[in-house]
Amino acid sequence: MNQAPLGRACAAVLRRDLTLAWRRRGDIAMPVLYALIVTTLFPFALGPENALLQRIAGGAVLVTVLLAMLLALDGMFRSDIEDGSLEQLVLAPQPLALMLGMKILAHWLTTALPLIVIAPMLASMLQLPVAVMPVLLLALALATPMLSLLGAVLVALTAGTRRSGMLLALMLLPLCVPVVIFAAGALAAAQQGLPWIAPIAWLGAALALALVLAPLACAAALRIALDA
Amino acid sequence: MSSWIPLWLHKLGSPPTFYRFAGKLRPWMLALAIVLGLVALYGGLVLAPPDYQQGDDYRIIFVHVPSAWMGLFIYGVMAVSAFIALVWRIKLAEVVAMESAPIGAAFTLITLTTGSLWGERMWGTWWTWDARLTSELVLLFLYLGVIGLYHAFEDRRQGARAAAFLALIGIINVPIVHFSVNWWNTLHQGSTIRLFGPSTMSGSMIWPLLTMMVATKCYYVFSLCSRVRADLLALESGKDWVRQIAAGETAR
Repeated sequence: MNQAPLGRACAAVLRRDLTLAWRRRGDIAMPVLYALIVTTLFPFALGPENALLQRIAGGAVLVTVLLAMLLALDGMFRSDIEDGSLEQLVLAPQPLALMLGMKILAHWLTTALPLIVIAPMLASMLQLPVAVMPVLLLALALATPMLSLLGAVLVALTAGTRRSGMLLALMLLPLCVPVVIFAAGALAAAQQGLPWIAPIAWLGAALALALVLAPLACAAALRIALDA
Repeated sequence: MSSWIPLWLHKLGSPPTFYRFAGKLRPWMLALAIVLGLVALYGGLVLAPPDYQQGDDYRIIFVHVPSAWMGLFIYGVMAVSAFIALVWRIKLAEVVAMESAPIGAAFTLITLTTGSLWGERMWGTWWTWDARLTSELVLLFLYLGVIGLYHAFEDRRQGARAAAFLALIGIINVPIVHFSVNWWNTLHQGSTIRLFGPSTMSGSMIWPLLTMMVATKCYYVFSLCSRVRADLLALESGKDWVRQIAAGETAR
């Protein structure tokens, strides 16, 4: 049996997932719409004072993006488990961690990237100063892949269960606390005119670690969950 | 000469042997926990002098601090047995890990509740977003996640393995949470309990605390034995040794 070279297998998995996502374009728009709606609720709930909104803007956008990603996470492997293609991936000769890494990348491209693109709009709805925007984008660019990677491990763990939506939130919350703290810390520092590079560097270091470890953990978790 | 210890440990890993062993251990541990707990409560509530600053309010420490220690200790036990369960696939380790989680969650909940009662008296607030309080809350969520994942599976052993994996991921997270809340700029600087710090407690306060710590450990062993016994019966139902026990129960 001659197996496909790694590069081609990776490209195939990535292309397949992106094509599937593109065929259901409505699903890509959902997290974006959700984030937009949640953001509009803040001024209603807290009152439209600019000073107050400005103070909470960074954290509010961060939490909104996190919640939108959480909603999308649940479906990461759902259809693949239902039609059995995930089992084929497990049986494939290529390393499972790498293949799952490609699936996580595809998921990040289709859910997190649109959220990052509209994040400046959300932030300006909450009167975040323009000067802080680059820091917001940088923090999101580092924080969202972390959430995708951590989330993928947890989704893989719940792959063998029927109901996992709420459970996923419960499991992800303790794991994403540090991510939120560092990202919000960078934003708060930037808003006060303080140096913000240290928390960003921590986020980057954590992302580097997660990039290496999370796909391996994800593969191990998936093997446990599918091993019935 | 000392070869019986590994052999005994090996035997203990088998469900029927552990079932019998835990059954013998259980009443002793409960008795120890009650006696030591009563002694500690008498020492803490009656013998110990009131604090020069906090008056009698500080006495909640005799429940609060031992529970906080147990919350972390049980997480450690759970993670170690989760590791054993994942690597060597020992059924007993899975059961110990999964039955530790609810006990640990209960102790963490007691810590949070007594802490907030104490906070209300001392700081005038039930809850503040202090680093210590927040990390304790995160610990509770970790426990609840493990319990939730265990019960989400139809197959118990599969659920146990998945939840054990989550418990292991969680222990990597414990130091991260600990350090990140140190960098997190909290508005409220909560006062922290320093046992062996410069303003150290007098011996009359320390000994009830340490006695209570041993009492909670004994209670944990008792509770774990009971839970593991029940779980083993359910897991092994249909096996011969369970049938024999059931037959003995009905004959009696």
